[in-house]
Amino acid sequence: MDIQAYIQSGIIESYVLGLADAEEIAELLRMRDQYPEVAAAIEQFEAALKQQLENSAPPPPPSIKAALMQELAPEFSKPAVVKPMRTWLRYAAAASIILLIGSASLNLYLYNEVNETKGKYQALLVEKNSVIADNKVYQTKMQDMLNSLQMMNDPAMKKVMMPGVKGKEQMMTTVYWDSRSKDVYVFSNNMPAAPAGFSYQLWAIVDGKPVDAGVMDNCSGLCRMKNIPKAEMFAITLEKAGGSPVPTLTQLQVAGKV
Amino acid sequence: MEAVQQYSETELVYLLKQRSESAFSYLYDNYAQSLNAVILNIVPDHDLVQDVLQEVFVKIWKQIESYDAQKGRLFTWMLNIARNAAIDLVRSKGYRKQQQSSELTDRAAESAGTSQVATDHIGLRKLVYQLKEEQRVLVELSYFQGYTQDEIAQLLQIPLSTVKTRLRSALTQLRSSIKA
Repeated sequence: MDIQAYIQSGIIESYVLGLADAEEIAELLRMRDQYPEVAAAIEQFEAALKQQLENSAPPPPPSIKAALMQELAPEFSKPAVVKPMRTWLRYAAAASIILLIGSASLNLYLYNEVNETKGKYQALLVEKNSVIADNKVYQTKMQDMLNSLQMMNDPAMKKVMMPGVKGKEQMMTTVYWDSRSKDVYVFSNNMPAAPAGFSYQLWAIVDGKPVDAGVMDNCSGLCRMKNIPKAEMFAITLEKAGGSPVPTLTQLQVAGKV
Repeated sequence: MEAVQQYSETELVYLLKQRSESAFSYLYDNYAQSLNAVILNIVPDHDLVQDVLQEVFVKIWKQIESYDAQKGRLFTWMLNIARNAAIDLVRSKGYRKQQQSSELTDRAAESAGTSQVATDHIGLRKLVYQLKEEQRVLVELSYFQGYTQDEIAQLLQIPLSTVKTRLRSALTQLRSSIKA
C-alpha cells in the first residue's frame, strides 16, 4: 500500500473533523498503529487545525472559565493531585525516613552516653583530687618518718627506754635526747591513746625534782618536746588535758633512767 | 505553579481522571480558544456560544473517564464533543423556533454585514467558502450540520462513493489552505 497516497487521501482530515464513518475510522487506526508516518500525519493535522482555529477567533471571555471552575469545584480532588511519586522515589523517601529515625535514636543514645560519661568524669576528677590530697598527707608522713628515722639513728642521740611501771608492764616509750642541742623527743613504742579529757605529760627528773618537759598532744611518731639541759631520769604521767604544773604521781605510766 | 506547568497529553489525561483541578485549568487554558472557534462556526449567536462552550467543558470533565487514547488523540476527541454539542443546539426545537421568529432580523443583519455574518469569515467557514460549490455543500452538510455521509447521499441523490470522494478531495483542499 502507498502510505503517502493514503495520508494524502483526505482520510486523516475526515477522521479528525469527525466526518469519517466507523469503517474508515477502524482502517485509519489500524494504519496509525502500523505506520508511524500516519500517526505523525494525524498529529500534524491536529496541530495545524488547532492553530488555524485559534488564529481565526478571539479567546472566550474569562467569565466562562471562572464559572466553570466554580461549577466543578466540588468535584475537584481535595488535595492537589501531584504527579504520582515514582517507585524509586517512594523507596528513597521511605529509606530516608528510616535513616532519620535511626539517626535520631543514635543521637539520643549518644547524648545519654555523653551525659553519663560527663558524670563519671566529674566523679573521677573528685576522686583524683582526693587521691592527690591523700598522697600529700602520706608524703608528709613519710618525710616525718624519714626524719624520725634519721634522728633515731643519729649517734649523738641519747636513747632512754621507759618501760611501764608496775601494773602497766606492757607499755613502752622511748626518749631521744640530743646531746648537742639538749632537745628532747619522745616516741611511743606502745602506749594506748589518752582517754578523752586527759593528756600524757613528760617529766624530766633533775636533781630529784620533776621538771615539765611538755605535753604529748596531736603527735604521732617522734614528738618534739621541751629543751632539757640536764636530767637523770624521764617519766610520763596521765594528766588533765593541757598538762599540770606538778606530776600526779599516782598516774605514773612509764619511767626510765638516763 | 500551574502557570508554568507543562503536561504531556498522557499526563494531562491521567491527572484529569484523578480529578485534578490544576489539570482542568490547564486543559481549559490550552483548548478553550480553539473549541470556541469550532462552536462559533456552527452557532451564530454569540451568547449561546458561551453557553455551549461551558457545557462542552463540563461534558469533557464528566466523560474523561471514557476517553480512550487508543481510539484517538485528546484534541480530536474534544473537537467532536464540541462540534456535536453545537450541532445538537442548532438542531434543537427551541433553537429553531427562536431562529424562525428572528429570521427577518437575521436576514436584515446579514445584508447589513453585522456580527452574524462575521462568523462566516472566521475559522473553517472562511476556508470552506473558498471551495467549489459541489464540495462546499458536502462540507456544510457533514461538518457544520452533522449529517452522515449516508444521509448526505440520500439527501443529494448522489451515490455514497461520490459523496466520499468529493468530501475527501474537499478536505485535502481544506488542509492545504490550513497549512498555508
